[in-house]
Amino acid sequence: MEEGYTSLPTSHLLGSVPAAVAEEKAKGAASESSSANLQIFPPANGGYQAPGSPYGGDDQATSSWKGVCSISSYTPYFNVDTDIVVGRLISSVYPMNDFTGKIDGNPDLYGPIWISTTLVFMLAALGNCATYLMHKRNEPDIAWAFDVTYVNWAACIIYGYALAVPVAFYFLLRYFGCNASLIRLWCMWGYSLFIFVPSSLLLIAPVEIFRWIIIILAGAASSWFVALNLKSYTEGSDLMVLIVSALLLQIVLALFIKIFFFA
Amino acid sequence: MAKMSHGDTIPLHPSSQSDIDEIENLMIAGPANVLPARPPSPPRASIPVSSSPFLPSNLPPPPPSAPAAAYHKAPISASPPDAAYHKAPISASPPAAETSRGGIAADGFGSLPNTLTEPVWDTVKRDLSRIVSNLKLVVFPNPYREDPGKALRDWDLWGPFFFIVFLGLTLSWSASLKKSEVFAVAFAVLAAGAIILTLNVLLLGGHIIFFQSLSLLGYCLFPLDVGAVICMLKDNVIIKIIVVSIALAWSSWAAYPFMSAAVNPRRKALALYPVFLMYISVGFLIIAID
Repeated sequence: MEEGYTSLPTSHLLGSVPAAVAEEKAKGAASESSSANLQIFPPANGGYQAPGSPYGGDDQATSSWKGVCSISSYTPYFNVDTDIVVGRLISSVYPMNDFTGKIDGNPDLYGPIWISTTLVFMLAALGNCATYLMHKRNEPDIAWAFDVTYVNWAACIIYGYALAVPVAFYFLLRYFGCNASLIRLWCMWGYSLFIFVPSSLLLIAPVEIFRWIIIILAGAASSWFVALNLKSYTEGSDLMVLIVSALLLQIVLALFIKIFFFA
Repeated sequence: MAKMSHGDTIPLHPSSQSDIDEIENLMIAGPANVLPARPPSPPRASIPVSSSPFLPSNLPPPPPSAPAAAYHKAPISASPPDAAYHKAPISASPPAAETSRGGIAADGFGSLPNTLTEPVWDTVKRDLSRIVSNLKLVVFPNPYREDPGKALRDWDLWGPFFFIVFLGLTLSWSASLKKSEVFAVAFAVLAAGAIILTLNVLLLGGHIIFFQSLSLLGYCLFPLDVGAVICMLKDNVIIKIIVVSIALAWSSWAAYPFMSAAVNPRRKALALYPVFLMYISVGFLIIAID
């Protein structure tokens, strides 16, 4: 029986490739069985097969609660080195590279989390800088005060977007029959936000037309990245509507960033 | 079984030993054995306390001895990080170990009421001196810097708490509008930031003790506290930028050896970047508040 493989003494030493993939087949992930363990989110059997549970396949239901709460079950999603992360960041800026291929075997959550956090901080800080510069230019006499609510807004918008949009698309893709992996969607959307980090640096310049050019370029590049990757993800099925809506959502985000933070 | 060396390791399951054996150990081994070689977290004075019945003590012994021993065993049998968690309730007892060393084995149960009945000023003075010594270890140059294990053995959370609240109050004081929101943002960023940074290192496969890392990140805020006070007094933007940059560099220098030693060298930058991000964002908050 295939469950027997999980009782091998070394099965807990395997990385993201469990010896037995019996329970993964049910998910219908035919092409992704090699990294099937990363498909499940939240992690059920605690990511790695714990040494004390040779029959990991059986008690998926009972141990799923333990899997969610322990840190070691999330470690596989952070299994990246510095050079890998840098490579993924660079390939997210040029939409032509094959990002999906890069993350297929080892999607990581480190990138999305820290890119979103960096973006929240940059938007709050540089948004305030931008209002300061505009203020000094137009009304130099009135006192300028640091607006702390920018931090709140930035956090809600960026974290909300990065969390909720991939979840929504995950359910939509599932509904339309494509097999989708939530982790890969989160990973891709997270890296797609990276281009807004340097562009928010450029948006400080108080020249209005310059700001609009920058944000349109950044928004276009980011949406194109999202659309391309989504397309290669759902190859075979004709879901242009979804792809176009993803593209539009990204453009809306870019416009919102410009209008709210760098008015 | 009696070979739980009180020297280096924390005796985790003394419940497997009978009370009599414990007491025998203490009687034979003497007071020197009672002290853990490294001062930190674990069940410092609890072990001798539970064996008190046969030793002269201030309290009426025995009938409570069995339940008392069981009671004290509960914190002992927890693993070290959890013992650190229980540290707060028994925080009075560890300093007792330091100050009344000779007294512990001599009067088992007596050590607990000694710290309970001592003057409040003594307790406060002890905690303050611990904060100062930890501060000196973490933030100022000292020979233990390269060995993070030694650098903050006797960690505590009072110091970080004071520094975080002080920074929040200073920022809130210097803000002209929305003072309470500024305090809330500063406090939330620092507290949640310390927890998230520690989780980040753990998720990247690093090895650190959760509360020790929280403690360290809190102590590294001290230079930023100093910078915030100076910025509150001086209003010039250029001076603020210079002061905050120096404070930032100092904080990062203090936190660097600890964080970088905790993870795989190939992931060092991944672990350090969030630390810099947090300190830079706090530094920016200090500059921008006026």
